[in-house]
Amino acid sequence: MNRASMIPLVLCVRSGASFASFRLETEPQRTVLDLLERLRADDERVPAYRHSCHHGSCGTCGAVISGLPSLMCLTTAADLSAPRPRRPGGPAVDPERDSGGAVIVTLEPLARMSVVSGIAVRPGPVFAGIPRDASYLAAADDSGRSPLPPDPAGARVGQGNVGSGHEGDSWRPIGRARFEACIECGLCVAACPVSLPFIGPAALAAVNRERQKRPERAAAMLAIAAAPDGVEPCGRFLACSRVCPQAVYPGKHIQLLRNVLADGQR
Amino acid sequence: MFDQVAAKPNRIRVCIIGGGGTGAAVAYDLSLRGFSVMLLERGELTSGTTGRHHGQLHSGARYAVGDRAIARECMEEALVLRRIVPDAIEYNGGVFVAIDDEEADRAPSFIAACLESGIPAREVPVAEARSWEPAINPVARRTVWVPDGSFDAFRLPLSFFAAARDLGATIRPFTEAVGLEVSGGRARAVVAWAAGDSSEERIECDYVVSASGAWAGAVGALAGLDVPITPAPGTLVAVRSRVSDMVLSRLSLPGDGDIIVPQRGLSIIGTTQRVALDPDCLIPHDDDTAFLLARADELAPGFSSNAIHAVWSAARPLSGRAIDDGRNLSRDFMVLDHSADGVAGMATLTGGKATVLRAMAEKAADRVCSEFGIDEPCRTRNFVLPSWRDWYAEAGL
Ligand SMILES: Cc1cc2nc3c(=O)[nH]c(=O)nc-3n(C[C@H](O)[C@H](O)[C@H](O)COP(=O)(O)OP(=O)(O)OC[C@H]3O[C@@H](n4cnc5c(N)ncnc54)[C@H](O)[C@@H]3O)c2cc1C
Ligand code: SF4
Ligand code: FES
Repeated sequence: MNRASMIPLVLCVRSGASFASFRLETEPQRTVLDLLERLRADDERVPAYRHSCHHGSCGTCGAVISGLPSLMCLTTAADLSAPRPRRPGGPAVDPERDSGGAVIVTLEPLARMSVVSGIAVRPGPVFAGIPRDASYLAAADDSGRSPLPPDPAGARVGQGNVGSGHEGDSWRPIGRARFEACIECGLCVAACPVSLPFIGPAALAAVNRERQKRPERAAAMLAIAAAPDGVEPCGRFLACSRVCPQAVYPGKHIQLLRNVLADGQR
Repeated sequence: MFDQVAAKPNRIRVCIIGGGGTGAAVAYDLSLRGFSVMLLERGELTSGTTGRHHGQLHSGARYAVGDRAIARECMEEALVLRRIVPDAIEYNGGVFVAIDDEEADRAPSFIAACLESGIPAREVPVAEARSWEPAINPVARRTVWVPDGSFDAFRLPLSFFAAARDLGATIRPFTEAVGLEVSGGRARAVVAWAAGDSSEERIECDYVVSASGAWAGAVGALAGLDVPITPAPGTLVAVRSRVSDMVLSRLSLPGDGDIIVPQRGLSIIGTTQRVALDPDCLIPHDDDTAFLLARADELAPGFSSNAIHAVWSAARPLSGRAIDDGRNLSRDFMVLDHSADGVAGMATLTGGKATVLRAMAEKAADRVCSEFGIDEPCRTRNFVLPSWRDWYAEAGL
């Protein structure tokens, strides 16, 4: 990597009432998480942070990165040195730089969540409203492909055909299966400006997906949506849909729930 | 329902160091057998190797030619996991693809080895395999169906943590073991430091299980032990397209860049292997990315035309000392009892694969039971685990 393409950064990581700051130079493709890991390996006293998968799948590494709730494992130095919104839905603006020209990057814990230490939070509010038995598998689009072959091994666990429906409390689609797109990262919950009691965008997205996938559960899901902390408090700010790293568009799911509830009342 | 599962408490205190999949499964198993469990993880749960692995639920087919016993164990454990953590597994099966003549010639011995290992592999015409997954290279010479799948590297072990906690285990993320007290030839206590705290604390225990994966050497050193573990990092590349629902593998000897695992909207090609001194801070080598994408294109042409989503590395905890690139080291797991090294009351559990976490835990828990003369059978195959969501929903705000 030639020196000219290196990006100078100052990482300011929230630690209680103050920030711990670190200067570094990095290749543009490195992520914020890579940089924290590098600092920690170099024995710097880096405030605590959450991470697990390093590829945008576990949903643990959310932080408010220079004003915008984002995943640290998918936000690169290149992203941070280019124009970027400072709040959900805000205009993209040039990054703040210090007198030496280094890009100033602030890392703060996600809002609405209690802090363990540093920028590590307890994501309880994300999970509290998601029905505990909402299925996480969904049908994968077969796009005209042949059905998958039967599975002689799976017969031993009651899954002889790929996708044999119910298994205990859990549910699988018939045919090709994949996980829901939502990685339960809570960026939407952190970005949501609603201050009334509200189960939140991630939970409502899960409620609507469950309704769509399992008609037998539709009434129970609609009851959750119709409760006072269901769709009602949503002010249609759409901050959720703007920050979602997985294009779940929770705002769209909330609207779909509203439409079904309104139809039911007519 | 898991709520009705109960254990007979025996008051023996076990401290587990390391909150990856292995530690999770040990915490669950020991809790079910009545032990009083405390688990320490220096970061978020699964922030070591576990959360970062490839996500392949191994049928064992990949290992069958080399080691039937490992292959058989993978097959059995994959089935157990499909039953006890069904929501964390995208099960769609897998295809081994022979691209060249040499790979095609391997098909009969590969299938025979799978069948001997209890893996119901079967050859299917290339046209049929391509009707399931048109992404498979049309030049393929032979194709073999196997019961592989993908799983969520983070959510599956989290269900084990939720189960352990339901049974009374104390699970402490962001708490690092910084010392191990040994006196009279026996491990007596673990010194721990919780992130943000100003002082350390001393956790007395009757037994210590180090489930610290690639960090086992460093954790062993806290007790003055020399634990033969070599960190062997591998790189993975995810692209933004689900090129297949099935796991696609090369019908070659296990090597680099020979497996594509789908997950949600992504496809992940891996892996590479090197040997490292330190499992911390594994920044991927840039040439690994180009290499892996080129290899992926051989299996599924056009793979590399998708946008790159992420590139990352994870460290294998290989048992043994490195001699060359690490491929000579065993892939199996081991339970190392340290009494012969002058530290009784402590074992290291490392190596293996994420797919066999439950079996690894069973072996380690058997070891702890025999140490204390506890006669409780392993029951971790029996129950469907609670959802990972319970872990955080109830973690206390
Ligand atoms: C690139 C790659 C791809 C892989 N792909 C697959 C796959 O597709 N399928 C499969 O089945 N397996 C796969 N594996 C293997 C699998 O990832 C590992 O076998 C498994 O995750 C190991 O789990 P573990 O709990 O033993 O170790 P880890 O997950 O590393 O857990 C050890 C934990 O100990 C913690 N720790 C260290 N020191 C301390 C301390 N002092 N105090 C407290 N905690 C400490 C660490 O933070 C870490 O979380 C892959 C491995 C690699 C490297
Ligand atoms: S809806 Fe999007 S932002 Fe919200 S938790 Fe799911 S993935 Fe994260
Ligand atoms: S570390 Fe898993 S989403 Fe970022």
